[in-house]
Amino acid sequence: MPFRLEKRPEPSRLMQYLTPAAAVALTMVVGAIIFSLIGYDGMGAVREIFLTPLTNAYKWQDLGVKAAPLIIIGVGLSIAYRANVWNIGAEGQYVVGGLAGTWVALATYGMSGPWILPLMVLAGVVGGMLYAAIPALLRTRLNVNEILTSLMLTYASVQLIYYLIRAPWKDPMGMGFPQTRMFAEAARLPTIIPGTIVHLGVPIALLVALVAWFIMSRSVFGYQMRVVGTAPHAARYGGFSENRTIWLAMLVSGGLAGLAGVLEVAGPFQRMVPGFPTNYGFTAIIVAFLGRLNPLGVVFAGIVMAITFVGGEVAQTTIGLPNAATGIFQAMVLFFLLGGDLLVRYRLRRVASTPATGAA
Amino acid sequence: MEIIIPILVTLVFAATPILLAALGELVVEKAGVLNLGVEGMMLVGAIAGFAGQFYTGNPYFALLCGAVAGAAVSLIFGFLTLSLSANQTATGLALTIFGTGFSALAGAPFSARPIQLMGPLFPPELATHPLWRGVFGYSAPVYFSFFMVFAIWYFLQKTRAGLILRAVGENDLSAHSIGYSVRGVRYLAVLFGGAMAGIAGACFPLLLTPQWAERMTAGRGWIAVALVVFASWRPLRLLAGAYLFGLVMTMELYAKAGGGPLSVIPSELWAALPYLATIVVLVLISIRRDASTNAPACLGKPFLPSN
Repeated sequence: MPFRLEKRPEPSRLMQYLTPAAAVALTMVVGAIIFSLIGYDGMGAVREIFLTPLTNAYKWQDLGVKAAPLIIIGVGLSIAYRANVWNIGAEGQYVVGGLAGTWVALATYGMSGPWILPLMVLAGVVGGMLYAAIPALLRTRLNVNEILTSLMLTYASVQLIYYLIRAPWKDPMGMGFPQTRMFAEAARLPTIIPGTIVHLGVPIALLVALVAWFIMSRSVFGYQMRVVGTAPHAARYGGFSENRTIWLAMLVSGGLAGLAGVLEVAGPFQRMVPGFPTNYGFTAIIVAFLGRLNPLGVVFAGIVMAITFVGGEVAQTTIGLPNAATGIFQAMVLFFLLGGDLLVRYRLRRVASTPATGAA
Repeated sequence: MEIIIPILVTLVFAATPILLAALGELVVEKAGVLNLGVEGMMLVGAIAGFAGQFYTGNPYFALLCGAVAGAAVSLIFGFLTLSLSANQTATGLALTIFGTGFSALAGAPFSARPIQLMGPLFPPELATHPLWRGVFGYSAPVYFSFFMVFAIWYFLQKTRAGLILRAVGENDLSAHSIGYSVRGVRYLAVLFGGAMAGIAGACFPLLLTPQWAERMTAGRGWIAVALVVFASWRPLRLLAGAYLFGLVMTMELYAKAGGGPLSVIPSELWAALPYLATIVVLVLISIRRDASTNAPACLGKPFLPSN
């Protein structure tokens, strides 16, 4: 064997930043080949999905609007995963955040004032936190695996939407459609660039990432999350409570997912509809990993995933590529990234073909 | 009797795919590997099974298609986690995202094109009386799932190969130092789990709803993963757990059909019930169990031999 894997004394920093870029590049190459093999225009698919959203300036506003929820949720998940807390129910916390905001919007319908929107946002964050508190409570009190509980709650949350918009929250003028009424002006998220769809959620996402980066790299809280995740024994020795960390991780990631939910319902949707769960909570898992569990990395990763979303829609209309192709490209990015992690911890060494030593 | 037997038949059909997928995952976890991609592998198996039935009309071939497709995608997981030591939790999630996307893409041309449901295994003369229908009225995967419960129990407890598999899951480094191939055993277990998840997925279009629908497995793969924990990694308890869930889902179906007292509760709550029941079941098992769990000691940990 001419090559051998050798464990690095320290994980390679260079590889850590290089592998996400390499994963995206490999996805483009392999994706083009695979989609060509199964009978689609592979080169066209890669061009439309990865490049058109960047070259077509008209698509930039879509990028911002799609990237915002991915970044907000991804930042929360990156903090949780750092602490080895596997919240994969962000989609459910996003849904409950959106529902909590909807509740405020409907309850204040007919009123006006600048306090309505902040109250909605607060409700959304609290809603997401409460929904994440269930897996946190079960994990800390009863040692129930948070992966399964947070995911099961996601499936349940979708049914909660269906129930609320079918019965108690149904639009009285909606001609029988299961949806709420359009939010009042005071409950809608304003656009920040006139003439575009770019809403207040976009700068909020950037702010969330910046604040999270600052906290994670400069505060005791951030240090605690990182230590508990990488060296649980040392953390216990250092006096960091594991349960406290789990609670913090779940509440932060759940609250941010709830924030994304309320911004989404008050911004692009402006009413609650059955199609509100749009998989942002699941895609944000890829975003968190692609961003190397670093809030600033998450910003870039969120934009990359937003590109595939926008590009997927472009490819659907221009070359007739089914929308599901987007999910395949996103999963491929994650596959290549996880596989490439090997090169962070190991290096390839050329082995001279001398007789092996100690061939017992 | 006229009421009970149809309920029983619905229950058995609802429980079978969960049982098959959970049995596969049980073997994978016994070898020390946590594959959270069951839902994705089931979806790939579902579209492969659908396509097999659509083109050939032979349900046994369709089940085989599901098994092969499930095993094929499980190989992605195996390669990343076993050969490249990637994080098992994250890779399993990636596999589910991939399976969801792949099945939706592959299934797009088949939407709104019905297929033939799989018929019963035994000749209909055996199942004329309602009581006999409750015994002989099912199609092959149902009997196969029962057979596999006992086959896997026997394999794990009574055979040498099963002992090696358990050793690899309990202490990979020792098994490695005795000279067993930890990676080899785990690859085989992952492939088996993939094939079982694929068959389980194929059961959805073949036994339950004879058409293709995106995400038609609706989280049943995740329930299967939870059931393995609930069953404390024991095949016989898995059987009980799967049928408990079959009962919950049957009640949902009857409530939706608008039957009597069940329809007082909103249909959405019935639809959420299997997921909520999963949480309740996980809570119950963790309350009842003492500090020592039955989980394989190496579950989810990468195998990193020093040489």
